[in-house]
Amino acid sequence: MRELRSIGKSAWRKDGIAKVTGAEQYASDVLLPRMWHARVVHSPYAHARIISIDTTAAEAMGAVCLTYDDVPKVRYNERIVSTPPHLYRDRQVLADKARHVGEAVAAVAAPTERAAELAARAIEIEYEVLETIVDPEAAMRPDAEPIHSSVLLGGTELPIDNNVAVNRTIEVGDIESGFARADHIFEREFHTSRIYHAQMETKSVVCRPEADGGITVWPTTQSIHNVRQLLGEIFSIPLHKVNVKRVAIGGTFGSSIQMNSVIPICTALALKARRPVRLVSTREEDIYDHTRYETRIRLKLGVTDDGKLVAGQMEALADIGAHNIQAFALLSVLAGWWVSLYELPAMRFHGTAVYTNKAPSCAMQGFGNPQATFATETLMDEIAEKLELDAIEFKLENYVGLGGTFWGQGPSVQSIVQSDGVPELLRVGSDKIGWQNRPDPGSQTGRYRRGIGMARGFHTSGAGAPKPGEVIDYSGALVKINEDGTVDVVHAMMDHGGGTLDAIAKIVAEELGVPVNCVGISPADTLTTVYDVVTHATRGVYAGGGAALKAARKAKAILLDYAARVLGIEVDALVIEPDEDLCQGVIHCPSVPERSITVGALAKLCQTNSWGSIAAVESLRQVNAPPAYVSYFIEVSVDTETGHIETRRVVVGADCGTVVNPAMAVGQLEGGLSKGTGYALVEDAQWDPETGQLASRGYWVDAKIPSISESPRLENIETYFADTYEPTGPYGAKGVGEAATNPCAAAYANALHNALGIRFRQLPITPELVLAKLRAQAGETLLGGQTAGPASAGSRGT
Amino acid sequence: MNGMTVRVRVNSEPREWSVASNDLLLNVLRGEEELTGTKYGCGIGECGACTVLVDGQPVLSCLTLATSLDGRDVVTIEGIADEGQLHPVQESFLECAALQCGFCTPGMIMMSSALLSQVPNPSEEDVRHFLRGCLCRCTGYAAIVRAVLAAADKANPDAEGPQCAEHVSTEASR
Repeated sequence: MRELRSIGKSAWRKDGIAKVTGAEQYASDVLLPRMWHARVVHSPYAHARIISIDTTAAEAMGAVCLTYDDVPKVRYNERIVSTPPHLYRDRQVLADKARHVGEAVAAVAAPTERAAELAARAIEIEYEVLETIVDPEAAMRPDAEPIHSSVLLGGTELPIDNNVAVNRTIEVGDIESGFARADHIFEREFHTSRIYHAQMETKSVVCRPEADGGITVWPTTQSIHNVRQLLGEIFSIPLHKVNVKRVAIGGTFGSSIQMNSVIPICTALALKARRPVRLVSTREEDIYDHTRYETRIRLKLGVTDDGKLVAGQMEALADIGAHNIQAFALLSVLAGWWVSLYELPAMRFHGTAVYTNKAPSCAMQGFGNPQATFATETLMDEIAEKLELDAIEFKLENYVGLGGTFWGQGPSVQSIVQSDGVPELLRVGSDKIGWQNRPDPGSQTGRYRRGIGMARGFHTSGAGAPKPGEVIDYSGALVKINEDGTVDVVHAMMDHGGGTLDAIAKIVAEELGVPVNCVGISPADTLTTVYDVVTHATRGVYAGGGAALKAARKAKAILLDYAARVLGIEVDALVIEPDEDLCQGVIHCPSVPERSITVGALAKLCQTNSWGSIAAVESLRQVNAPPAYVSYFIEVSVDTETGHIETRRVVVGADCGTVVNPAMAVGQLEGGLSKGTGYALVEDAQWDPETGQLASRGYWVDAKIPSISESPRLENIETYFADTYEPTGPYGAKGVGEAATNPCAAAYANALHNALGIRFRQLPITPELVLAKLRAQAGETLLGGQTAGPASAGSRGT
Repeated sequence: MNGMTVRVRVNSEPREWSVASNDLLLNVLRGEEELTGTKYGCGIGECGACTVLVDGQPVLSCLTLATSLDGRDVVTIEGIADEGQLHPVQESFLECAALQCGFCTPGMIMMSSALLSQVPNPSEEDVRHFLRGCLCRCTGYAAIVRAVLAAADKANPDAEGPQCAEHVSTEASR
């Protein structure tokens, strides 16, 4: 293979100068002539009927007011990534009934934010307060107040019983005979927390009504095309008059996969006010708008004496909050991530997703994967310990690797693993951390106890598969060659900050033989780009980059076809070499050095001779979803007097195929470590069972995320990459982003077990929890050394 | 409502604001001045995204009354580059890939520049101490620490801090 020029080399990000000088434009930075400002009126109650809304006083102040009576009566699902038959529609622009604290029930627009805030406070709303349901088990009781009586599934009315939004059972093989073959069966319960995405930018939007009846929208979103289609559907505007513009996004981590609730509210206000309106969420509003799925997982694994898994069963209860954004998909992927970790000849998954009166749950970095991996990797570590196997050997014996079947997005997205860096990741990581020198679990007695833990995992690269399934997955791209040899890439994909668009530029540069500095990423909107589903599922480089590569290849073929005729050289003999000084490629044939032409001269010739533009547009559905594997090795020190956990060393390895931009790939791993640490040790959104209010009341100081003070020192973080090549990916690349958090919490739990001899099966593992477990351990020691654990475990027949 | 006159320098330009007694610096900068590089992250001093320099000292503009700025000198992220030449911290953030989504970046850069003007040769502890009130959800902070130390080293040719290009080539190469 020829030497790569752009891929594999770190470069300044293309949006970097704008971001370090304050020039980058996010949704809340859009300022338009005649623009008004919006505020939303939220329910202070978790569950309440709206009896009346009086906007008289607010209107007397000059505000434009919006209530349920003003909005289109269209029920929608805000995340149109699932195919239409799998969309559960329970949402309207403003609520007909308040189902969580912070739900939007009215809105105002006024000339200034101050005037809008005062007008919002002047709106009088009478509520009939209903029973608050915070606990998902309580929600399923027969006498519990229904949160939704029915929803639309596809286009059909679906009654909701016992607040159960959706059930899903997935079985492969014969589970009964599978467990019958097991010499040992382990069954444990896990509880993962409900945490806030804590993206730095609060959800914002600007909407401008256009003279022709259309709208132009600048939203915080992960998908401009999905926002466009939903707004067109809700407001009955033909799509050629709905232009959604891409602006930078200030972090998202899944929080803007769906069309955010502020977007249609702002649109309705702008249409009613007949002028541009801006709506910027406050931090408190944002915290009440979305959260990660909280899960309770009961996991059962059967294993033979020689350490071979033979059967597995997972029962999952997911708390989805007040709206069903993607519960069906969540249950699909919970099963999929789980069965893709380790080969299970027989498996059974049963999941239940339940409505509660809390902020709606949505995807958050890993979408079900942090939850499934925490349970699986913690239990695998325990099984290895109980069977006196080395955890790494036990995992290598059972993992889904090369040639195995990977479920990239639930049962309908299956493909065969074609690149696998797991053995290298585990070997290198265990050497770096000193795996062989870790203490025996529970062998230490001093105040400070040291432990080493490991966990592995992955995330998918996109949601593509050989068959059409439950999830839409394709991207489109336009590549055009300019008359000076520079290149424009027109692509609807969002870059959340990980460098997706930079990677796409590198891929195009590599293929066209131009310096990456001479490839531009065009501003994007829905009028001028072809469809891209959404930046999610770690699909940016693999799927979005794949589409750009396909378009670049087509443009290159056109280019070389013209060049062959101009130069009088066979097309297959031509190559393009990048020339940094000329900022373009030079087309030539190595054996005929006297004949060459720059890409720009050729493009200009095509233009002046009226031969046409050199450009190509392509769509690509990837028919695979390769796993990007990650491994975590963590060393902790626990203060047994305070419960404080110090992260002494972290070694994170990733197999993302070809590393497209090393500096940014490292950034994904270090960022994943930080978010994973927050999930493991710190973050927890607690809800008052009586009021349905957040205990933090929406303030960040009480909804803590890791700061720089909680982050390991530079010398204690080490990252590395496996040497692999994904044959189906652009230049051998697959994903990395979401993979980087998934195993982190289990690595901490396993390190803590190594230090203390105590298993942690709930998140976050706070100092209080550590102390409570230490006290319980001490009590048990006094009582005669019974092992801890809420569920049965051990050999069959005992 | 508006009425109090505040004479202030913003990014070296003399300005005169007519503000209400409860107008916040953040809103005046983002609104009247249209300097949207200073970010709203929380509004109550929890995240540091709105950090600007007032008379060279870092302040949280979301907690600063505009009326308190009379006669003062305000520098925002738009004004920290010198005559089109990026500030060393800005340059290091690019070299060290210390920004992802970029939303915390203006606050991080302002706070880091204040650190370097007070402590020209900061230790890693100094950087962590100074930036403890600036939240970032993307990077995990490591690249930011590297960038600030590398920016300090630009003024100290003998220093042996992390060189970001080298860091990447050694840690991420095969």
